[in-house]
Amino acid sequence: MFQTVEEVQQRFRDAKYIATRRISTVVYLASRMGRPVLIEGPAGVGKTELAKTLSEISSRPLIRMQCYEGLDEAKALYEWKYAKQLLYTQLLRDRIGELVANAPSLPDAVDKIAGQDDAFFSFRFLAPRPLLSAILAEDPTVLLVDEIDKAEPEFEAFLLEVLSDFQVSVPELGTIRARHIPWVVLTSNNARELSDGLKRRCLHLFIDFPAPAEELAIIRLKVPEIPDKLAEAVVAAVGKIRSLDLRKPPSVSESLDWARSLVILNAKQLDAALVESTLTMLVKYEKDLERVKGALDKVLADLPQA
Amino acid sequence: MDERILEFIGDLRRAEVRISPSEALDALGATAEIGLEDRETFKAALASTLVKEARDQATFDRIFNLYFLDLEALGEGLKKALGPEDPKMQELLDQLANEQDLDLDEMTELLMRGQGSEMEMAIRSGSQNAGLERLMYFLQVGYFSRRIQDQFDWAAMERDLEKILQMLEAKGLDPGQLARIRNYLELRLEAFRRMIRQHVERELERRAWRQGEKLTREVLADKPLFALSPDEVAQMKTVVARLARKIKDALALRQRQEEKGRIDARRTIRKSLQYGGIPMEVMLRRRHREKPRLITICDVSDSVRNASRFMLQLVWSLQECFSRVQSYVFVSEIAEVTQAFSSLPVERAIEWALKGAPVDFHCRSDFGYAFNRFVRTELERLDRRTTVMILGDARNNYNDPQAWALRMIRERVKGIIWLNPEGQWGWGIGDSVMPLYSPHCNFVRECRTIAQLGEAVDSLVHQWWRRGR
Ligand SMILES: Nc1ncnc2c1ncn2[C@@H]1O[C@H](COP(=O)(O)OP(=O)(O)OP(=O)(O)O)[C@@H](O)[C@H]1O
Ligand SMILES: [Mg+2]
Repeated sequence: MFQTVEEVQQRFRDAKYIATRRISTVVYLASRMGRPVLIEGPAGVGKTELAKTLSEISSRPLIRMQCYEGLDEAKALYEWKYAKQLLYTQLLRDRIGELVANAPSLPDAVDKIAGQDDAFFSFRFLAPRPLLSAILAEDPTVLLVDEIDKAEPEFEAFLLEVLSDFQVSVPELGTIRARHIPWVVLTSNNARELSDGLKRRCLHLFIDFPAPAEELAIIRLKVPEIPDKLAEAVVAAVGKIRSLDLRKPPSVSESLDWARSLVILNAKQLDAALVESTLTMLVKYEKDLERVKGALDKVLADLPQA
Repeated sequence: MDERILEFIGDLRRAEVRISPSEALDALGATAEIGLEDRETFKAALASTLVKEARDQATFDRIFNLYFLDLEALGEGLKKALGPEDPKMQELLDQLANEQDLDLDEMTELLMRGQGSEMEMAIRSGSQNAGLERLMYFLQVGYFSRRIQDQFDWAAMERDLEKILQMLEAKGLDPGQLARIRNYLELRLEAFRRMIRQHVERELERRAWRQGEKLTREVLADKPLFALSPDEVAQMKTVVARLARKIKDALALRQRQEEKGRIDARRTIRKSLQYGGIPMEVMLRRRHREKPRLITICDVSDSVRNASRFMLQLVWSLQECFSRVQSYVFVSEIAEVTQAFSSLPVERAIEWALKGAPVDFHCRSDFGYAFNRFVRTELERLDRRTTVMILGDARNNYNDPQAWALRMIRERVKGIIWLNPEGQWGWGIGDSVMPLYSPHCNFVRECRTIAQLGEAVDSLVHQWWRRGR
């Protein structure tokens, strides 16, 4: 548990994650109020990384549920190990035979078998999936529900039920209640709008592309070998490229890739030739590439020089 | 403070930010957790509990600034004087306040502690009897500021300050230090006065804004679409976005309720074969019933441009409710814009459909020709699960209406829906051929205003696609 917002900020920093005041406040509140955090923002601004870092600094194991189209309750919660159940019934065929041997009628035999349900529908045969793992965990965890917008609205409605009371009912086993309420982080790229219910339940956090000062800090932290002036130039250039109205503007992950490759190339400062030859690190679409090349003069104007 | 936050929430709601009672409680809970010391943290706590849509962020920022005093805006010097940022001097004052048995006015103590948020609270309670509800014009700001100032005993504060300075002198502070302390405390007094004035000014802005905002929204929803100015169009975008989401939420909820597991006997038996005929795995009906298909055909000529824009926005936002959406635009030539719709963000998709699609935007509308072309090229792609939704005023410039083309489409699909942005009284008058087209449609509605467009789409989603889908 965190004592202050400042503490959150500092511990994230120690774990090499630059958390803005806003991010730290929301994380702090989530830990205090026991609420899930829903993070929205463009790709590559550190949504997933935030959850991972939270797990690291709180020493709570990370349970990750990656969402995708077609994800359903069974795959998120639990599945019975059918094959194993079947194997056991076959191996125990004789015992089962004995059990029903002296049953006077068919209904009696069925009753006798039914009496043994517990043996076959027990935790032994249950394969917990991420949600149930988080509920069953002995120690508190961080549950990351990544890219919830990829799952269908129906799944979202189900998830909301689970997040509301952290208990699930497995018909054969009864109701299972969480031992500890996990810290839950959901992320979304806004592929689709999420339902009101889910948004209402969560603390909301928008993460946008970072301000220059923060991006600089991130690059220094993650690519420590980069010369100061070069880092500043990278941030300035990326900022300008983002303003070009591209199909996919470069994100933090791309700035980092770029910074790393510039270091490998032993660059001291940015020039047209260097930027052109490394541009694919930053922008991926053909059209975007052309656009940036066309605006290279603008991008390179007034950059900090070594 | 809670009252102030609730009032703030009330204003957010009036600005159409949707906030549920539970979120309001969360906001109170969150601010209680973090306190008032840091304005940015306080703001982040409120935003995370109250703002759940990116588009509401700007509204939130604007109203937040009207509500919670902005120490930055008081200027650097005053801000420094207000916060306990001059640690040495503050230490001295704290010491003094503690060790001596001083009998000071409440306000003086507050000034000595120098907490911006406490001072803000004092101003709020001081303004309670100042009759601020009568504040209407800028000229009244001075008057009401004075009324609030009068709630505090300034003479007592001045006396206290003198007393403090004398005591400090007696303790052996040199004249230079005394002068600095005097300056420090006077700056605080000045800051306090300015905070009062700022408070009144914000209150005035808040009132004016409240009335203006409500009025424009109400008027806009019922204003004919063709008469909206570009500014108004921009404002209505958020309204349409909300509308789309409302419809979608209702739909998702219903799907979930309808589709909770029923046993699928056929699949259960088939599955049981692999377990020697034992129904080990009970198969439930497929969760996903086939979603309907939608084809939209939008008139994008100048006369109905605004209507098309909103209709396209709605269609874009509702894409996921359908298993397939194909979109066409036409003036006379017709072009498919589906690709742009599935790959571009909403604004760009619409811009493209309205400006970039390969049709001549400046020729005169010819519905007959467009339908004819559509039948020739697309008829094969139509099927019974598809609904065709047409938006247009059916003003055909006296060209051949070719209503037979609509009939042919109708025979292939689940149905045709026609939304007409022109008032019903005009249908059939002049070059309008609406009466020739409507017999081939299953559902015809006038959509002159956003309110009407919303109602039409809402009833479509809930009735048209509900029946048998
Ligand atoms: N504030 C930050 N501090 C440190 N590293 C960061 C920060 N933001 C982003 N990064 C780095 O950027 C990269 C991308 O982050 P991440 O994968 O978390 O993005 P994401 O928002 O989850 O993207 P996506 O939407 O594509 O999943 C990571 O390598 C991460 O280390
Ligand atoms: Mg991610």
